[in-house]
Amino acid sequence: MAAVAELGDDVARVGFDLPLRANLSALDNIALIPLYQRHYGAAEASQQAQALLTLLGHADIASLRDPDMTPSQRFVTQLARALILKRPRLVIDRPGATLYDVPYPRFIRQLADQANTIGTWEIFDFSWNQALYSE
Amino acid sequence: MNFLAASIESIGAKIVRGLAVGYGLLAFLTEALLALLDRNTWNRATFDVVVKQIYFTAVQILPVFLTYVLVISWLIITIILTTARDFGLSAFASEMTIRVLVLELLPFLTALYIALRSGSAINTEIALMRVNNELDALAHCKVPPMPFEFLPRLISGVISVVALASLACLLAVLLGYLAIYGLNASGFEYYTRTISKILDFKIVAGLFFKCALFGLAVTAIPITAGLETPKKLFMVPVSVLRGMMKVFFAIMVIEVVSLALKYI
Amino acid sequence: MNTFNFKVGLFALATLLLGAAFLAYLLYARGYFENTYRLQLAAASADGVVPGVPLVFSGIEIGNVTSLGFNEGGGIVIQLELPERHAKWLKQDSIYTLDKPLIGSVKISVDSGDLAGAALPENSTMLLLTPDINKEIPVLIAQVKAILVNVEHLTRKESDVNATLANLKTVTGRMTGEYGMLESILGSPEQARAVTDSLDKTRALMIKLDGLAGKMDQWLFAQDGVADSTRESLAQIRLMLNDAQSSLKKADEMMTNAVAISADVKAGTQDIAALRAEIDDAVRKANALVNEINKMWPFARDPEVKLP
Repeated sequence: MAAVAELGDDVARVGFDLPLRANLSALDNIALIPLYQRHYGAAEASQQAQALLTLLGHADIASLRDPDMTPSQRFVTQLARALILKRPRLVIDRPGATLYDVPYPRFIRQLADQANTIGTWEIFDFSWNQALYSE
Repeated sequence: MNFLAASIESIGAKIVRGLAVGYGLLAFLTEALLALLDRNTWNRATFDVVVKQIYFTAVQILPVFLTYVLVISWLIITIILTTARDFGLSAFASEMTIRVLVLELLPFLTALYIALRSGSAINTEIALMRVNNELDALAHCKVPPMPFEFLPRLISGVISVVALASLACLLAVLLGYLAIYGLNASGFEYYTRTISKILDFKIVAGLFFKCALFGLAVTAIPITAGLETPKKLFMVPVSVLRGMMKVFFAIMVIEVVSLALKYI
Repeated sequence: MNTFNFKVGLFALATLLLGAAFLAYLLYARGYFENTYRLQLAAASADGVVPGVPLVFSGIEIGNVTSLGFNEGGGIVIQLELPERHAKWLKQDSIYTLDKPLIGSVKISVDSGDLAGAALPENSTMLLLTPDINKEIPVLIAQVKAILVNVEHLTRKESDVNATLANLKTVTGRMTGEYGMLESILGSPEQARAVTDSLDKTRALMIKLDGLAGKMDQWLFAQDGVADSTRESLAQIRLMLNDAQSSLKKADEMMTNAVAISADVKAGTQDIAALRAEIDDAVRKANALVNEINKMWPFARDPEVKLP
C-alpha cells in the first residue's frame, strides 16, 4: 500500500491519509488550489470550486467544515480537491476507510458519471473487498 | 573522567540543538519574508485570513486586555507615586512612571499576553495540522501553506502586539497624568515636557521595533515549534510546552537586548 | 466575515487615530509646530557641557544645548535652542550659570531677576558663568581662612617660627660669643640651602597673589560681571588675599632675617628643617588656592566676550 503514497506528481490522490484542512470550509479547501497554485483571484477560485461541487451534486456542502461533514460529504470534498488539481491520473486509495457508511463502489461510480472528466480513475482497495465492485 | 566527557557531550548536544532551532527559525523567517515580497501572495483571500487572525488575536481580547492594563498600570503608578513621595522624589514620579510602564513593562506584558493566548493556540494548531497529515495533504496538492496559514499569523502577531502595546501605553500615560495631577489641566505643561524629554524619535522608533520583534517572536516560534512536532498525537502537548519555553526565552532576550541598547 | 471586517476595521481605525493623535501631541511637546529660538552662550570652559544638556528656568527645562564650538579668541560658544513660547523667560539681564550638582546631570540654569525687563533679542550671545561661583564662594572663603590661619600661625609671636628664630639667635649668639668655632658645630651647607629654597617659594607665591589680586580687581569692577552678592563675597576674598599677602611679607622678612643669621653661621639646625617643612606646607596650600581661583576666572581666558 505504501506504493500508492509514492506515486508521482502526475497523480491526484484521494485517501484517508490526505485529510482536509480542518478549519477551512469545503469550498475554501477546494479553492486553495486555483488560488495559491494558479494564482487566480479569490472570487474566481471560489467560483471554480463551487462549480465543481455543483457538478458532483453536492453544492449544499460548500460552507461545511470537516468535522461537520458526513463521511460521504467528506469524500466528495476530497475528490473535488483532487479533481481540481487537473492531473492526468486520479487514484482513490482504500475508499472504504473514508466511505464507511455507504455502499461505496456504487457511490464512486455515480460520482464519476457526474464528473465527466477526461482522465482515468483508479481505485486501490483490499483484495477481500473485490466482491463489492462486481455488483 | 567519563562523567566529564559525558557532561561536555551533553553541553555540546544542547548547543547544537539550540543552533539548529535558531537556524530553523531564521530559515522560516526568510521564507516568510520572501512570501511577503511575492506579489502572488497578496490577494483577497490572504487579506481575509489576516483580518480574521487580527480579530482573534487582538480585537477579541480587547476589553479584557484593557481592563488588565488598567488594573496593572494603576497599581504600579500608585506604588511609584507612594514610594517617590516617601523618599521626597516626587519630581521624578512622572518620569519614572513613563519609563517603567510605557517603555518596558507594558510592551513586555502585552507580548506575554499574546504569547499566552495566541502563541499557545498557534503552536497547538500547527502541531495538530502536522500530526493529522493536513500539511502532507497540502504538500500533495502543491499548495504552500505559507501564504494562508503562516504568514497571516506572523502579520497579525506583529500588528496585534504593536497595536495593543500602543493602546496600553496611551492608557498608562493618561492614567499616570490622572494619578499625579487629578482631573485638572494644571500639570499638563510639566507632564508634556517630561514626555517630550523621554520619548524622542529614537526611543519611539525603538519601542515600535521592540514591539514588532515581540509580535514576531510570539508567532514565529510557536509555528516552527509546531512544525517540528513528531507525528504522534501524544507529542502535541510536549511540542506546545517546548514552543512556549522558547517564546518566553526569546521575549526575555529581546527585552534584555533592548535595555542594553538603551542604557549602555 | 462581515462582522470580522467591521470590528477589525474599527479596531485598526481607532488605534491608528489614537496613535496619530499621540504622535501629534509628541511633536507638539517637542516643539515641532513652533519656531525655534536660538541663543548663544560664551564660556571660558565647556567642561561637562554636551549637546542635549538642558536649559533650566526655575527648575523647569525650557531648552537644550544643540552644539558647541570655538569663537575667534579660542573661547567656547554654546548654541542653545528653545521653543519660542519659552523665550519670554529670557531677559537682557538674565544670568546664565553652569550647574554641576553632586548628584544628577549637568544643566545650564537661567535666572531672570526682573521678569518685566527688556526681552532678549534672538541670536544674542550671553555670558555663561562656568562653575557656579555663587555656590563655590563659601568653599573658597573657608580655604582662604584656613591658609590665613596657617600663615598667621607661622608669624605669631609665640609661634614655632618665631621660637625657632629666637632659638637660632641664641644658639648662634652663644656659639659666636663663647666658642667662636661655628663651622664645626653647625650642620652641612645643604641645610642652609633648604632655608633659602623656602624663601624663594614664598616670594614666588607673593608674586602670584599679587597677580591674582589684580585680576580680582578687574573682575570686581567689570560692568555687570557678577551679581551684587557675588561681588561682596569676592571683595571679602580680595581682603583675605591682602591679609595673606601681608602675612607672607612678614614671614618673608623673618625668613630673610633667619637666612641672614644662618648665613653668619653658614648652616641650619634640626629646628630650621622643621621650619622649612611648615613654610612649604603653607606655600603649597596657598598655591593650590591660587590655582583654584584662576580656574574659576571667567575673564582670564576669554577677553573677547562682550557683555550686552
